Amino acid sequence: MADAAGRVGVGRGLALLAAVLSFVVLIAWPLTRLAIEAAGAGTAPVLAALQPEAMEAIGNSLWIAAAVTGLAVAGGLGLALLTEHAAVPGRTIMIVGILFPLLVPDFVSALGWTRAFGPAGLFDRIAGVEIPGLYGPVGIVLVQATGAIPLAYLLIVAGMRSRAEPDLERAARISGADGLTALRTVSLPLLWPVIAAAGGLIFATTMNAFGTPAVLGRPAGFATMTTRIYGDLAFSSSEAAFERVLGLSFLLVAVVLLALAFSDRLGPRIATRGTITGPGLEARPAGRLPLAMAWVFVVLSVVLPLGALLLTALTRAVGLPPLPEHLTLANFGRAVDSRTLPALLNSLLLAGFAAVACVTLGTVAAIAPIGRWRQRWSQVVTIGFAVPGSVLAVGVLLAFGRSLRDTLLIILLAYVAKLWALAQRPIAGAMDRVPIDLSHAARVHGADGRTVLRTVVMPILAPTLAAAGLLVFVFALHEVTISILLYGPSSATLAVAIINLQQLGDPTVTTALAVLLTLLVLACAVPLVALRRSWLHSVLG
Amino acid sequence: MSYPSRGAPRRTTSTSLAVFAVATLLAACSSSPGTTSPQTASIQPSTSAGDPETSATESAAALPEPSGTVSLYTSATQDTVDAVLAAYADVAPDVSVEVFRAPTGELDARIAAEVREGQIGGDVLWGTDPLSVQSYASQDLLEAWTPPEAASVPAQYQTDTFWGTRLLNMVIVHGVDMDDPPTDWEDLTAAALADGVAIPDPGFAGSAFAVLGYFASNPDFGIEYYQRLSDNGATQVQAVAEVLTGVAEGRFNAGMTLDKSARDAIAQGSPIEIAWPASGAITIYSPVGVFAAAQNMDNGKHFANFLLTPEGQAAIASTGWQPVRDDVDGPPIDGDQVSPEWSEIFESQEELLDEYRAIFGG
Repeated sequence: MADAAGRVGVGRGLALLAAVLSFVVLIAWPLTRLAIEAAGAGTAPVLAALQPEAMEAIGNSLWIAAAVTGLAVAGGLGLALLTEHAAVPGRTIMIVGILFPLLVPDFVSALGWTRAFGPAGLFDRIAGVEIPGLYGPVGIVLVQATGAIPLAYLLIVAGMRSRAEPDLERAARISGADGLTALRTVSLPLLWPVIAAAGGLIFATTMNAFGTPAVLGRPAGFATMTTRIYGDLAFSSSEAAFERVLGLSFLLVAVVLLALAFSDRLGPRIATRGTITGPGLEARPAGRLPLAMAWVFVVLSVVLPLGALLLTALTRAVGLPPLPEHLTLANFGRAVDSRTLPALLNSLLLAGFAAVACVTLGTVAAIAPIGRWRQRWSQVVTIGFAVPGSVLAVGVLLAFGRSLRDTLLIILLAYVAKLWALAQRPIAGAMDRVPIDLSHAARVHGADGRTVLRTVVMPILAPTLAAAGLLVFVFALHEVTISILLYGPSSATLAVAIINLQQLGDPTVTTALAVLLTLLVLACAVPLVALRRSWLHSVLG
Repeated sequence: MSYPSRGAPRRTTSTSLAVFAVATLLAACSSSPGTTSPQTASIQPSTSAGDPETSATESAAALPEPSGTVSLYTSATQDTVDAVLAAYADVAPDVSVEVFRAPTGELDARIAAEVREGQIGGDVLWGTDPLSVQSYASQDLLEAWTPPEAASVPAQYQTDTFWGTRLLNMVIVHGVDMDDPPTDWEDLTAAALADGVAIPDPGFAGSAFAVLGYFASNPDFGIEYYQRLSDNGATQVQAVAEVLTGVAEGRFNAGMTLDKSARDAIAQGSPIEIAWPASGAITIYSPVGVFAAAQNMDNGKHFANFLLTPEGQAAIASTGWQPVRDDVDGPPIDGDQVSPEWSEIFESQEELLDEYRAIFGG
């Protein structure tokens, strides 16, 4: 026993070492290189970041991110409760509808919304209605919130499946609690770590978002931290501009970390250790109002923007109404050339490796630290996620450019530095749900370590690991700010192909590429989901 | 905490994952010596910077037959790069051209990072506007020489370190069904186009900044021109192409955009028309230069010079841009062309942008 305990300590020590080393190499070193560049400037970057214009951008970013996080978490939680706890007719279709926007690259999501609800958009043509203020903060919040709802939904559902406590909920109901009381006093507190993890990720993602604020914010003269950073980065051969980039970027990281530390303290501190034993609660029929709202959401935020995108991809030239005589498949041909396939392969390879690496690192780091550092690790690696992608890419280029310039590996390092937190936070949130009693029981009944892992730990963690891996994969596949700065002659990614097309100025072709990309990810995802579902059923019964 | 405090499963997962992660990290570290000793490598000595043999006096002589590789850093559009590379393969079949193509902002960010890191990876810089290229020239990052073909480039489109290759014309674009279309820049501030004009953001697009520089430095317009645009309800959008899209979709009645993009869209069938401004389209030249620290200096010069030859110019023109040489056929130029005093607006970039942002925000 003593020997076993010693070996456990060694294993945990190694995991800790691996996590710390990875953090130092992947995140701390590139950021230190940036800081060294800024250090020569003394306090100039700090002063630059505190200019009135910068402060206005910081304020804008903060309230946009807060609004998006609130809306997305509320929406994601509501939809998750609906599809997981209630009997919903057409449940599978609804889930697919909710999750589908995750597969749509965000470089076209703003375009989808403007084409669906903007002036001269689809809705305008059909019903003569447009969303006022779509170009401006209202539109930025709407587009980003609906883009983040699937993210919140996915993480919360994965958390529910890891964390469900049907016995506790049943006990509450038997003791006379109505549905709402049981939800408020049992289910939500249990879910809090997952909700906080989802909210934190959405907040950081929104603070970091560039595409949507740039497209929808410019017309209103509405600046965010990222649009200012991008504008200065373009002039970054000028010392003053580079200093502003670094000052604002480090400030952005600080703001995100502060906000996350704050949100992680908001929730109730609970340490229940229930076990998943009995069958799930009987699903009650869903109320009519929640059901109607969910379907309206799916139609408005998914079907219409995607329909508008599809019509754009099928239209011969921008500005032509989508009438039969103007429809063509030619844009798909123009979107794909001899460079697209190698770029796609590179991106798939990078996204796959990044997903495996981030889930591995997230698991290692969730196992390794002891006590309070388990929560803090999530904060620490979020530094990499909070840095704007283009600035992180500059740091990675400074740190590794000499030896790894133009390789796929340097892009992979940047992806893992960026996306580690995307896996870390959900995994850490689910990790404390691995029930001690169950593994003890299994051990008592003679199961060896491997068997306990396979039959007890993995089934509980699996939904979260899968969700985390999927998120990292999709984010890596769709990113357009990192690899455009790091690619070389043989390591061009989809981002490069996308930006090349965008710069040619014809949105019909860019949209066609986005549609192809979505269909491709869908084609990969469908068998995976089907597989996972049958496997989950066989494990969880 | 609720993680099991003893038991084999954790040991198995944690050790195997840790071993995997450490191995991965070691592999990453061992292949990146630069991370531990950034000072060991120094800037690659240039083979010709300061070398009298390649100084301006002799460079008019024919360049040697090239072979090997050349690395091109460019923000020219992909279709144009492709056309030029295809034509270059006929002239220099033994040279393999490695391309890093990105929008001006990303290209500049990469070069700035590489300068700070100690080694620019490119040999040739082919930019979109003279201002971003000028910033490299003023840091002595560009080689001073004279391409053999430089004599054919109009004087206003060349310096000691970079030469114009193509001309981008900022023109007015409007919907086809417009009754009384604008014919000059001032018309964009008229009541007839209230709330209906789109302009590209100078903070994002180099060509839009050049236009800002032209208007601000021209006493006929001044920065007040932007105030009048703003007062008339004009909208700034991020990119030049977005103006085109917005006008084609009917979101805007008219706007400022580049002639080549507008002609491409019209050829596709977009319901828009070009109005060549009566006081002149604002013309921006897209320069090429060679990095002073180029690792393939001779090939770099050969490629840069090729862009100025009739063959290179024809390839550029074939994708719809106006070639800088007037002895090469290009797209229709339907009126006057005007340009800002580049050196003047280069000096005042920050102030101009600040003045602009005070009007349009962002």
